[in-house]
Amino acid sequence: MAPLEHYLILSAVLFSLGVVGVVVRRNAIVVILCIELMMNGANLAFVAYGRYLDSMAGQMIVFFVMAVAAAEAAIGLAIVVLIYRNRESTDLDEINLLKL
Amino acid sequence: MASSLFFYFLAVVTTVGAIAVVAFPSPLYSVLALILTFLGLAGLYLSLHAQFVAIVQVIIYASAIMMLFLFVVMLINLGREEKRELRLPGQKLLGAIAGLAVFSVLLKIFLSTSLMTGKRGSFPPERVSELGNTQIIGNLLLTDYVLPFQAMGVLLFVGIVGAVVLARRRSR
Repeated sequence: MAPLEHYLILSAVLFSLGVVGVVVRRNAIVVILCIELMMNGANLAFVAYGRYLDSMAGQMIVFFVMAVAAAEAAIGLAIVVLIYRNRESTDLDEINLLKL
Repeated sequence: MASSLFFYFLAVVTTVGAIAVVAFPSPLYSVLALILTFLGLAGLYLSLHAQFVAIVQVIIYASAIMMLFLFVVMLINLGREEKRELRLPGQKLLGAIAGLAVFSVLLKIFLSTSLMTGKRGSFPPERVSELGNTQIIGNLLLTDYVLPFQAMGVLLFVGIVGAVVLARRRSR
């Protein structure tokens, strides 16, 4: 079995790629996808730690995170559809009504 | 050795998928790349002996949630991201800097050994394989974790109602 550190490094890589995507991309859907990517990076760290510390808590937390991610995706995509109906675009640079 | 190779193969698949999510200009390809990443992660969970989480990852994440994304991408018919300047100058560079900063902080935390000296749990691998992974999770969900489990039900209910209310077509 690969050592714990390798799992943790992979989890850090996934999380950072998610951060890069959230900052760099302008499409609202891709930004939500990158948030999902970050959640999965965190999930991998939870499961890896749980495995190496003989604990089930990691897997339980992952289960709850998945429920939160499902709710987040449903609400987020509903908002994206709503924005698209009003603005004919999901470009985050154009959604700036609240900007000074 | 074989399981170690399995890990590195899946790690490469997962990382390539994650890079593709960020790099593909078309949202449709990003969604498909994320499905690849999720399947790779399911394999990694299997290599960590978390069978239930692996199957839930495939059924809920890679299928149900990603299908929702695919539906929305198809529904609003997004093409490629247009090739015009980002509003903020140097946004790509800033993104790379932010990613590297987060990565180095996470690496520093993960590789400090103090995190592995905590109290060990009561589920060593032998006990898990004897009782069965899914059975343990089912028992824990209805005993130790019953309150979060109920809260999860409320959360999903609010999520469903919220999505319906938000996406409903208002007739005036």
